[in-house]
Amino acid sequence: MNHDPFHWGRPSDEQYGAYNNTIANASPYPKMNTQQPIVTGTSVISMQYDNGVIIAADNLGSYGSLLRFNDIERLICVGKNTVVGISGDISDMQHIERLLDEMEMENNYDNSCADDEESLRPSYVFEYLAAVMYQRRSKMNPLWNALIVAGVEEGKQFLRYVNLLGVTYSSPTLATGFGAHLAVPLLRRVVDHESDIEKTNLETAEKTIVECMKVLYYRDARSSRKYSLAIIDNDKGLIFKKNQEVSEMVWGFAKDIRGYGTQTV
Amino acid sequence: MAVTFADGVILGADSRTTTGAYIANRVTDKLTRVHDSIWCCRSGSAADTQAVADVVQHHLELYTVQYGAPSTKTAASIFREICYENKDALSAGIIVAGYDERSKGEVYSIPLGGSLHKQPFAIAGSGSTFIYGYCDKNFKENMTKEETITFMKNSLSQAIKWDGSSGGVIRMVVLTKEGVERLIFYPEDYEKL
Amino acid sequence: MTSIGTGYDLSNSVFSPDGRNFQVEYAVKAVENGTTSIGIKHQDGVVFAVEKLITSKLLVPKKNVKIQTIDRHIGCVYSGLIPDGRHLVNRGREEALSFKQTYGTPITVPSFADRMGQYVQAHTLYNSVRPFGVTAIFGGVDENGPHLYMLEPSGAYWGYKGAATGKGRQTAKAELEKLVDKNPDGLTAKEAVKQAAKIIYMAHEDNKEKDFEIEISWCSASETKGLHKFVNGDILKEANEFAKKEVNGDQDSDSSSDDEVNDEEEAAAPSSTIDAEGDVQIN
Repeated sequence: MNHDPFHWGRPSDEQYGAYNNTIANASPYPKMNTQQPIVTGTSVISMQYDNGVIIAADNLGSYGSLLRFNDIERLICVGKNTVVGISGDISDMQHIERLLDEMEMENNYDNSCADDEESLRPSYVFEYLAAVMYQRRSKMNPLWNALIVAGVEEGKQFLRYVNLLGVTYSSPTLATGFGAHLAVPLLRRVVDHESDIEKTNLETAEKTIVECMKVLYYRDARSSRKYSLAIIDNDKGLIFKKNQEVSEMVWGFAKDIRGYGTQTV
Repeated sequence: MAVTFADGVILGADSRTTTGAYIANRVTDKLTRVHDSIWCCRSGSAADTQAVADVVQHHLELYTVQYGAPSTKTAASIFREICYENKDALSAGIIVAGYDERSKGEVYSIPLGGSLHKQPFAIAGSGSTFIYGYCDKNFKENMTKEETITFMKNSLSQAIKWDGSSGGVIRMVVLTKEGVERLIFYPEDYEKL
Repeated sequence: MTSIGTGYDLSNSVFSPDGRNFQVEYAVKAVENGTTSIGIKHQDGVVFAVEKLITSKLLVPKKNVKIQTIDRHIGCVYSGLIPDGRHLVNRGREEALSFKQTYGTPITVPSFADRMGQYVQAHTLYNSVRPFGVTAIFGGVDENGPHLYMLEPSGAYWGYKGAATGKGRQTAKAELEKLVDKNPDGLTAKEAVKQAAKIIYMAHEDNKEKDFEIEISWCSASETKGLHKFVNGDILKEANEFAKKEVNGDQDSDSSSDDEVNDEEEAAAPSSTIDAEGDVQIN
């Protein structure tokens, strides 16, 4: 007999097993880690053209409405023919950068062909990131980002999107955030259907992307003038343009605007 | 705030800690040592930032025993790891500033989410929003020690003037190859600059 | 060895009465029979070279790479039980990665050496494990410049200007010593590559009946931006030719004309030689 009065009249451990205290202390909610983005990056925009892909993102890290950091590089090169554009939370972006760096290094382990035949391809990078993004959302602890993976692979363009929900899709033109609303319609004026890709050269494509960055700077209150642009071309390889600036803006018409309707002076 | 200059880096902060509108401590020291010449400016929750700083100090102590003096980047990385992995539980905005022979003066900013940003100078905390413009316009690279102190005194004085949650004295810590120097400025020194 | 059969050589965790750990000594034996590996520290980096014996005609030339990369800036080569070495390298990669993740900077070579030393030493303490059957030579370039270490099965590691292990270590060490004496200011990276090739060739002389390839890697501030890379192409070809010339010149050997058969790819090794049976060529 157990002489401790505390145990009298209670289910005995021998009979029923030890009492599981975690049940009594359990929270009525599932484990939740859902955060909110703090320092954020805005749109990433991208499009395919006849011989490759272009991707661009500005260099701003916003803290709410405060334009806090002006030197954030949101286009990340992985190997020689992949660029990942990241929008959303910057701390999670830096986490993804570390994952990609690790991935690149592991690919080089005992791999004498890591620089050519067995270098990381955009589709590999994408599948990995998509798996990470989906895994994290399933753990109720998403990485608060929307990513675009751009590159060329076996002479063909690669462009695909994944976000914090683990949703993925491809298109001849892709954009995240504000860009999905403002830039995609403009990009589709040039490349709407798959068949339009072949009719678009690098010059036209770059001009279109540059124009979209301007429109985004006009209309996105969380955007900056300074941006980076990357071209992944089948023949020219990776061209990474830093410190680009939105230019040829039109503001002159503002001087003719008086009041908001009937006023003339 | 922390500012790099020609010979190293200077950290500066006001001395007010509040619980709501009540000033819990009017002579706080927000400039905290984590290694001989690596210090941090704490903003956000006092409890959280003290806890984080203590953990980092512990890590750096172990690091020093094993590998010798840490770089400022290493200290900042440890801060970042803690702030990022515990972002749901912490409210900590930390600036890490340090001097080492190889990298000279360096400043790293770790805002709320736990991202890490290397900057020539950094500001954080409730008063910082009021002085973004002033600091951006008046900061210059490679200032002298005197210029830097004046710049910081002006910046912090403006933050104190416009932010109810900032106040008290201005403390500074100068980190150079000469070592550590503490400075203090009282309201009568900075109010009518 | 007189103590064999006394029972003290069966377990790691038991000393013999005269204070030896026989398991460790046996591990050293495994290394002494291994193929020759060397490392040279030069002006701004390190060079690794290894003799790869061709144990079968069925092996694909230049594949089955031996030298490994641990972190971008650290390389490793070893003699002894190859699988043990590969495990050690895997462990090294974990260590280097975890250091980078915690401290935000690549691990320095001395700290890396220390961690590896501790790991290998731990395998001399327990009854449930055996020591590593390898002596590893590793090194690279970090913020403090070039470093070269050699780690023994006991867990002891030392920093070297030139290190050699495996069957041909005596010859190799003698050559390395001469080299260090002759070049008090150190070699250039390219010179070190040539010398490394030569030393491997010389160390192979005692083992001449066996075919071999040579594999060279380097990590140099000037030549590889501090990254550990394999030596390929013309530089490797040049090193091979230099080595062959030096060695054959020294020994005035009767190298047959078969040695000069040209490989359309740059030769990674004596492009072809006569094997033990004396008739089959390996290309």
